[in-house]
Amino acid sequence: MFNFAFNSFEEAIYMNGHGIYVWIVLFIVVSCITIFFITYRKKIQKIKKKLNESN
Amino acid sequence: MIKKFIHQFASPKTYLYQVNRFYPYIFYSSLVIYIISLIWGLFFTPEDFVQGNSYRIIYLHVPASFLSQSLYLAMAVASVTYLVWRVKLAAYLIIAIAPIGAMTTFIALISGSIWGIPTWGTWWQWDARITSTLILFIMYLGLISLHNSFSNFEKADKLTSWLVIIGAVNIPIIKKSVDWWSTLHQSASITLTEKPTIDVLMLYPLIGSIIGFLGLITCLVLTSSKYQILIREKTKSWIRDYV
Repeated sequence: MFNFAFNSFEEAIYMNGHGIYVWIVLFIVVSCITIFFITYRKKIQKIKKKLNESN
Repeated sequence: MIKKFIHQFASPKTYLYQVNRFYPYIFYSSLVIYIISLIWGLFFTPEDFVQGNSYRIIYLHVPASFLSQSLYLAMAVASVTYLVWRVKLAAYLIIAIAPIGAMTTFIALISGSIWGIPTWGTWWQWDARITSTLILFIMYLGLISLHNSFSNFEKADKLTSWLVIIGAVNIPIIKKSVDWWSTLHQSASITLTEKPTIDVLMLYPLIGSIIGFLGLITCLVLTSSKYQILIREKTKSWIRDYV
């Protein structure tokens, strides 16, 4: 069940020419999630700071 | 009785404190599950004999696609809860979920398009599944725009809730589109009623990636709802104690 599906690391990256599609999608997914987490975190910090100043 | 129960457990204050309590557990466990499932799926599952290695996009596309529809259903439930029982938290959740739903639908559309290039030979086809998913994405954007166009939050919440309920008709259309019409898109590999058509070696990491992505998106919704509560309840005295 846990056999490495490729003969080498280079082959795993290249994926018989399909690697480019897989890695682009992975980049998009990771970027979207990270951007959303960072944006909301910053927004919360900003509103908390504002509320603290008004207290 | 139901009304009393909902109002007791859905107060923004109780919700905010509970979110802070459970958030780290959900976040870290989901992150670990998602990373392990992706490594498993991308490197340790056998190559598909028809699609080759491009099928590995399934571990990124399917969770996003599943979540894009699930989040809309969650918004529809929140809309009914708000309109029937006037639960404020439900209204906050609708607008907290909408941008994240738009993001997951965007990922589903983009990943599907990229997957289509090596598999179908085209990145876009106006078939039933892809078109209905594009409509879902436009609906998410429309709901966000509608809510932001009002300065009166109560009016915005009410109209957005009605629009969410009306738009929910698109969800069964997306789900059944591959059965009702002849499309390029394959029918579902995993259903609740039938045995999965996908091999178990590919199935387990797929289930893991769905669970991990679900957990991470749940954390995003919790964070987004926390922001909505801070914005909407900023004049309340308990918020000052909280921050």
